Parts: sequence; C-alpha cells; structure tokens
Amino acid sequence: MFPTPVQKAPAWVRIGYQLLLPVALVVWLLPLIGVAITSIRPAGDLAAGNYFGMPSHFAGFENYSAVFNDSPIGQFILNSFKVTIPTMIGAVGLSCLTGFALATYKFKANLWIFFIFVAGNFVPFQILMVPVRDLSVRTGLYDSVYGLILFHTAFQTGFCTLFMRNFIKALPFALIESARVEGVSEWRIFRHIVLPLMRPAIAALSVLIFTFVWNDYFWATVLVQGEHAMPVTAGLYALNGRWVAAWHLVSAGSIVAALPPVAMFFLMQKHFIAGLTLGATKG
Amino acid sequence: MAEVSLRNVKKQFGDTAVIKGVDLDVDDGQFCVFVGPSGCGKSTLLRMIAGLEEISSGALSIDGMDMTSVAPADRGVAMVFQSYALYPHMTVAQNIGFGLRMTGHPKAEIERRTRIAADMLQLNELMKRKPSQLSGGQRQRVAIGRAIVREPKVFLFDEPLSNLDAALRVQMRIEIGKLHQDLKATMIYVTHDQVEAMTMADKIVVLNAGVIEQVGSPLELYHRPNNLFVAGFIGSPKMNFIKATAAPGASGKVAVTLPGGSVLTVGGGTTPVAAGQPVTVGVRPEHLSVSGPADATLPAKLRLAEYLGSETMFYCGLADGSDISVKADGLAKAAPGADLAIGIPAAACHVFGADGRAIINGDLTR
Repeated sequence: MFPTPVQKAPAWVRIGYQLLLPVALVVWLLPLIGVAITSIRPAGDLAAGNYFGMPSHFAGFENYSAVFNDSPIGQFILNSFKVTIPTMIGAVGLSCLTGFALATYKFKANLWIFFIFVAGNFVPFQILMVPVRDLSVRTGLYDSVYGLILFHTAFQTGFCTLFMRNFIKALPFALIESARVEGVSEWRIFRHIVLPLMRPAIAALSVLIFTFVWNDYFWATVLVQGEHAMPVTAGLYALNGRWVAAWHLVSAGSIVAALPPVAMFFLMQKHFIAGLTLGATKG
Repeated sequence: MAEVSLRNVKKQFGDTAVIKGVDLDVDDGQFCVFVGPSGCGKSTLLRMIAGLEEISSGALSIDGMDMTSVAPADRGVAMVFQSYALYPHMTVAQNIGFGLRMTGHPKAEIERRTRIAADMLQLNELMKRKPSQLSGGQRQRVAIGRAIVREPKVFLFDEPLSNLDAALRVQMRIEIGKLHQDLKATMIYVTHDQVEAMTMADKIVVLNAGVIEQVGSPLELYHRPNNLFVAGFIGSPKMNFIKATAAPGASGKVAVTLPGGSVLTVGGGTTPVAAGQPVTVGVRPEHLSVSGPADATLPAKLRLAEYLGSETMFYCGLADGSDISVKADGLAKAAPGADLAIGIPAAACHVFGADGRAIINGDLTR
C-alpha cells in the first residue's frame, strides 16, 4: 500500500511525525492566531510596540463592541448577505439549467459552448476590471448591490456550469431515456428526476459559491464606493482608514466577517463531504 | 397490441454505418428476440424502435402507423433497460406510477393500474421501499412493472437479465415468458445469450455487423441455419466445422471428402457443386458419437473430457490439427490421449460453400 500508513512506519518516523505535526499546524495557523490575538489586544499595546507578544490585558469586549458601535459593520454584513445569497441562488440555479442542457442534449455547438463556459474561468479578473466598471457605470449599476450580484453571478456561473455538467453527466443516462419513453416532458424530467438527484451537488456548490463571493474583495472595491452597498470585506478597509493603524479593531472586524462562511461550512459539512465523495458511492 | 415493421432501416453515426438496411416484420402478439454478438447493432435497432436513436433512413411503423420520426412518448412503446433505470429517490410505488402521474392520469386510475402490475409481479410487499433496498431480481420486476402500467402496444427489453446471476436469470426468464402469455402483447427482446433467445422466442432475429443474418423460429435456426454465422451462433455447445472438399455424387447427392480421406454422401441440397470444391461441413456435437453405427468415421485424439453427469463432453483433435467436440452419453469414459473413432451421421450434416452460405442443411426434423 502506498503511501505506507504512518502507524506502520519505523519508530523515528513516527516520533518525528508526532513532533513536527503540531509545529506545522502552528506555522500554518500563525496568521489566524495572530489576527485572533490582535483582536483582543488593547490599543495601548500596539502604541507601545507590543505587536506579537501576549496582550497586556484582555480587551476583547472593548474591541468587538467598538467595531459594532463605531462603524457601520452591521450595514456591511447586511450588504454582504444581500450580495452573496442572491448570487448563490442565481449562479447555482442557472448552472443547474446549463449543466442539464450541456449534459443531456446532443447539439452541434454543445462542446463549444461548454468550452466557452470553462474558458471564461481562465480570464483574469484584472483585465476585466476597467470594461466591467465602464459597463456598470453606463448601465447605472455602479455603486449598487445589484451590480455586484449581476457580475458575481456572471463570473461564477462558468465554474458552476462545469461542476454541474460533469455531475449530471455521471448520472445514469438511462434514467432520462426511461422517462422520455414514458412520455415525461423534458422540463418535468429535469424537475422530478434530475434535480432531486443533484441535491448533494447543489449543497456542495452552494457552500463553495457562498465562500467565494463572501470573501471577494476585488469586485467589492472596483464596483462599490458608498457605505450603502459596501460588502464587509471592503468595509474592513474603510474601517482601517478611519482609525489609522487600528489593527486591533480591524482584526476584530475580520473575525466577525469570517464567521458566516465558517458557520456555513460547519452547517453544511455533511453535504459538502457527500458532494466530494459522491462518485465513490454510486450504485 | 400491434405489429411492428421495419423497411430498409439504416443508422449512421457519422461515416460509420451501424445498421445497414434492416427489413423485418414482427407480428401482433409475437415474442421476437434480437440476438447477436456484442457490437452487432441489436441494441441500437431496439433503441431506434423505441425512438431513443434517430432512424437515418428507412421507415418504421407500429400498428400500421408510420412512427419513423415520432417522439418516443407517442409511439406506444414501453422499454425495460439493462440497468433497470429505476429512479433512486422514489419508492417502488412512485417509480411504477411516475410516468402516469407525469402524463396527467387521474389518481384512481394510477392506483388501479399500479395495483394490477404489483399483483402480477408480486411486488405488493415492496411498494414502500426504495430501489436501493431491493435485490437485483426485485429491481428488474419493478422495471417491468413500470412498463406494464403504461399498457403499451409494444414492450421493448434491452438485455434485461444480463445483470442477474444465473439462477435468477432462469427464474426471470420464465416470469417474462409467463407475462407474455398473460398480456399477449408484442414484445421485442434483445439479448446476447442464445439460450435466452431459444427458450423465449417465437421468432429469433440473428444480427451480425448491422445486417440480419437470418430470421426464424428457434428450431428453424437450429435445424436449418442459412449460413456459417448462424450455424456457429445458435446452439450450445457450438457446432463443429470441418474443412472438406465436395464432389457431385450419385442421384443428385454430394460426396464430401473429410480430412483423413473418408467420404460422406450427403443429400437434400438443391445447389449443384463442382468437383473438388472446398466446403465446410457443419455438424453439432450432440449428433456425433464415439461409438455405434455411423455413415463415416473420423479418427481423432482425445484432448480433454468434461464429465457433467448427464452428458460427457469430449474435446478432440483431428488429423489435420483442427478441433472437434462430441457430446456423448453421461456414462461414456475415455482417457486424454486415447484414440477415438468419431461417427458422423450424414443426415445431421450441414454443408456450407466457400462464401459461407448453406448448400445443404442436415435438417433432422425432415
């Protein structure tokens, strides 16, 4: 068996493994630990140059309440939800349809359309920045939640279509053919046969898209200026501008901003893992 | 209840012809089996009848109506798939009623038909289970039930038993046969298993490389194969083929010189042969003997003997190096390496020309 299970390795490998694993773990988590500790550090520590040591006292309550009281972070988080949830529904919903079409129908341009969806993923966002901003200004979508929803949906649908098309392709095609012979219309085949079988894929993709869009910083800064539409990722930046070098507050804000996707992951973990191992348990 | 007829039906995938012009009539209420080696186009032909594959050229009619380019749903056919194609998220009852529910049948009617199908297939205990909780045979029964409730004109079966184990296959074979008797519907059944074909069919269609080799009743194909392909495909164990030369014999018969020099006089053919014409003699293992009287004998060396109790199979080598198998009595015994004299009855011999077509059929039913 390759790789050899660590339990069967020689003693020095096992002991080395047990020693190195926690070290690697700490190194890996160091930035996160840094942010978490900074978020409970009193402002005085930072002024005194105590960036990386232990906080002089626990200032978690002050910092976190300051984030909520002194900044519109509530509004930012609401904006993030307003952008993320419609995008998630839009991208996953659309890709269920495109994936079904590309996986079940034979038509000449099928592979080409699929390639275009996939190729879209390889275009770097940066080269689209100026045209997309121009487009959003001209269509009146600049500096609004709707603009973000629309562009996020457009950009995510390519990846989602790839995912869904491959998933549906792996379903037994005889199910669809059998329903066709039974006289079931194509829409009802999609609605009553394919969609119920896609539940694990929909759950897995929803978690992914939620995380991607929630964590987006690029489009949030390119397409939005005002507080009324600013998502929390970009909002943190504004927080930093107001209190110069207020790292303790920015850190606390970051922790707050990271909670929804983390919560989403733990809530949907079962579906997420089911989605990842789906191919292995077919039949 | 309907007859199915195909007129010069062809199927092209790009440049490759898969079905190269098929003419076939399946009568009302007939059980027709398509049989052939894998890749011969039998499943494609069935799917063309179902409407799942387009017909490239030619015409298909069901019950007298042209169905060449009609949608699968409107052809009045029901199909049972090799993989059963049960909807995994629905119970047995939902699976059976799904098609009716989706095509707007009233609830009471769906329940009535589902109950009838469940009674017929002994599915009553299983109605609330999901497909994953069923055994292979039960799944297949549900798939058949789903076909029955539609009350189709024609049933199509695409290798429905090939995923089942041997014992279950025999049992389901009998059940499908019974179903055919009860419903008296036209059924078209695809299989690569010639035992299934022989036991179930009213009419067998032997396909090879996209063309029909022969159509006939099981015994017709067994006794009177048109060509080498059908002769070799139908019958188990396989027919023996012996290279020989033919010459015109007395009173219209044909004298065949076998390897080793013995001459067999075979009658019953109508095609004249030229002297020295190379032919293939076909004779089934069950018609040969290792003892007793015969019209000609071939010296052979025993390579392997299989004792099956009810019968003994002898696999031997002839003088020219070719193989021959003999199905002998269950009590026959011989040690490998022994010299045997294999007796050939002239009446059971088929003679095939160099093009593979039959010159003489050794029809024992005559």
